Amino acid sequence: MNIKLPKFLYTNQFGLLCLVIIFALFFTFVTEGFSSRFNLYALSRVASIDIMIGLAMMVVILTGGLNLSLGAVGVSTAMFGGWCMESLSIPIIPSIFLILLAGSFLGWINGYVTVKTGVHSFIVTLATMSIYFGLMTVLTKAQSFKNLPDAFTDIGSMKIFYRYVSPLLLFSFFIGCVLYYLFRFTDIGRKLIAAGANPSAAELSGISVNRMFIYCHMLSGILAAIAGIMVTMRIGAAIPSIAGHLGFDWLLPAFLATVLGGTLLSGGKVTVFGTILGALLVTLITNGLLLLDVGIFWVRFFLGVILLGTVLIDKARAYFTEKNIVVS
Amino acid sequence: MNKIFSNLFKKDWFGLLIVVIFGALIISVLKPAFVSSFNLYVLMSSISLMLIVAMSQMIIIAIGQMNLSVGAIGGLVAISFAGLMEVYDMPIFIAASIGIVIGVSAGFFNGYITAKTGISAFIITLATLYVFKGINLGITEAQPFYKIPDAIRVFGNGKIIGPIPYLIIIPLIVTFVMWILMTKTIIGRYMLAYGNSIQSSELMGISSTQIVITAHVISGLLAGIAGMLVVCRLSLGTPNIGDAWLLPSFAAPVIGGAILAGGKVDVLATALAVVIVAIISQSLVIFKVDPFFVQIFLGFMILFAVLINRYREYQEENKKKIFVHE
Repeated sequence: MNIKLPKFLYTNQFGLLCLVIIFALFFTFVTEGFSSRFNLYALSRVASIDIMIGLAMMVVILTGGLNLSLGAVGVSTAMFGGWCMESLSIPIIPSIFLILLAGSFLGWINGYVTVKTGVHSFIVTLATMSIYFGLMTVLTKAQSFKNLPDAFTDIGSMKIFYRYVSPLLLFSFFIGCVLYYLFRFTDIGRKLIAAGANPSAAELSGISVNRMFIYCHMLSGILAAIAGIMVTMRIGAAIPSIAGHLGFDWLLPAFLATVLGGTLLSGGKVTVFGTILGALLVTLITNGLLLLDVGIFWVRFFLGVILLGTVLIDKARAYFTEKNIVVS
Repeated sequence: MNKIFSNLFKKDWFGLLIVVIFGALIISVLKPAFVSSFNLYVLMSSISLMLIVAMSQMIIIAIGQMNLSVGAIGGLVAISFAGLMEVYDMPIFIAASIGIVIGVSAGFFNGYITAKTGISAFIITLATLYVFKGINLGITEAQPFYKIPDAIRVFGNGKIIGPIPYLIIIPLIVTFVMWILMTKTIIGRYMLAYGNSIQSSELMGISSTQIVITAHVISGLLAGIAGMLVVCRLSLGTPNIGDAWLLPSFAAPVIGGAILAGGKVDVLATALAVVIVAIISQSLVIFKVDPFFVQIFLGFMILFAVLINRYREYQEENKKKIFVHE
């Protein structure tokens, strides 16, 4: 072991990057049409949303908590946006601000209740998931908003880079970079991580842990709202069923992206690029399996198996590295 | 006399019992249709199903974990049960036995991986949720099984006497057995000890692996039974059985005073909580409220129950502190 390789080669992200490339090559050779312009464009549109969902989950996992209401927040804010634009005819830019505000408010409720009661965020967000989704269905009467401004929906069908990529994907990367900057270089970002890693130590060093946790939940709400906006742009309408019953369909990609990306479920560690790569891998595999004619119904099975496999491999790796340390 | 009452008030189930009695009284005065034979029958049928689902989650909460795959196991067992009878013409008894074996193995799978790897049960059961659901959809391709024997139809919709459905027999037995298990047997005490503190229970010589696997096996078994009872009730096996179980499965134990960190569950209180949730859902229908309000209500009830539990814990802690100072 005298050869010194760059540190990056040992990281989780590098392994993920290899997996993304291997799977992309595999599907290119095995299936017809994987690398076609149409498919890659469709892939990029789905990937951009999965990335946002993954990041939204990641910022709450940072606190050692979970956000089951992710999908419900995304749908509720998307429907709220549809209502603003269609029924109130508010212009697009103010509408988007209102949507983000709504997302952060729903996140704030999650965070506030979690912090004030000291109950695990799992049960809090389980309850709010049902409340948000129920309120949304009651208020909208499960009707969708289909007459959105053209300028808004056009972004969803725009194509760039020789019509291979959706601008939404670039936007997701941009948000990823903003988050990376936030966690890496800003004071508040470091505080967020410190509060998640060791709450009592953070509290002793003068960080208001409760406030940081509420910020994380608000950030998660905003990111979920962005995902909601993106889905609305992609479909061209705000529909109550975009995330399935109670928004549950978003949970698998959310957990897959974060767990694959190497975020610790116990909190205190975030990997923005890991999560992005994880989300890309999930989208890629789903798309490839569908092209392989596996059948839409078995895709969930495979994704479940992949999640199981990932956590097991991760555990095994931790076990062996521990062993190595003991030996040396 | 006073002492008996103050002791009763400390029990989780006593407060809930009062809520059930007064709630039922008030609603039946406001809407006499509530106590009609048909309504009571519907109420009891829905209580029967949710009782087992709640017990299935409760036993996992007792050891301080959670099982997201309760609904997926229920769905998988339900379609296997219905499918074996329709496609292979199996007798009911054999199909039900195979269904139970599937439920138990699914629970064993969850428990074995959780116990052996030490990964949080949340993430393991989230993964197996999609694995079981995927198998379910892969086999059925989202098509229901319609050909159900008449005996099942009768069992699922018949009445023993007055408004009491046959369906309630098994859930009552299950609840009783669970009560015995959690309060009177060593294995139940071990589970609660494990849920309270893994370290001290291991120091006592309790095998963590055995406890975790046992709890998950029981959870899988109960989820499977619940799935098969739904098949009896609906007289068909649809792949989406179990999809909406997650929220109610947590709601009942939490309203019944269970602490999610583990170590404290109350079978009677959980059962009464199921009754409360059922009465509320049913009366919302009777008062012609939008059915989606049921969901909102359930969400608020969970939050409310959690707050009350928290408040009581807080008070007890304060009491202990005073004790120490004296």
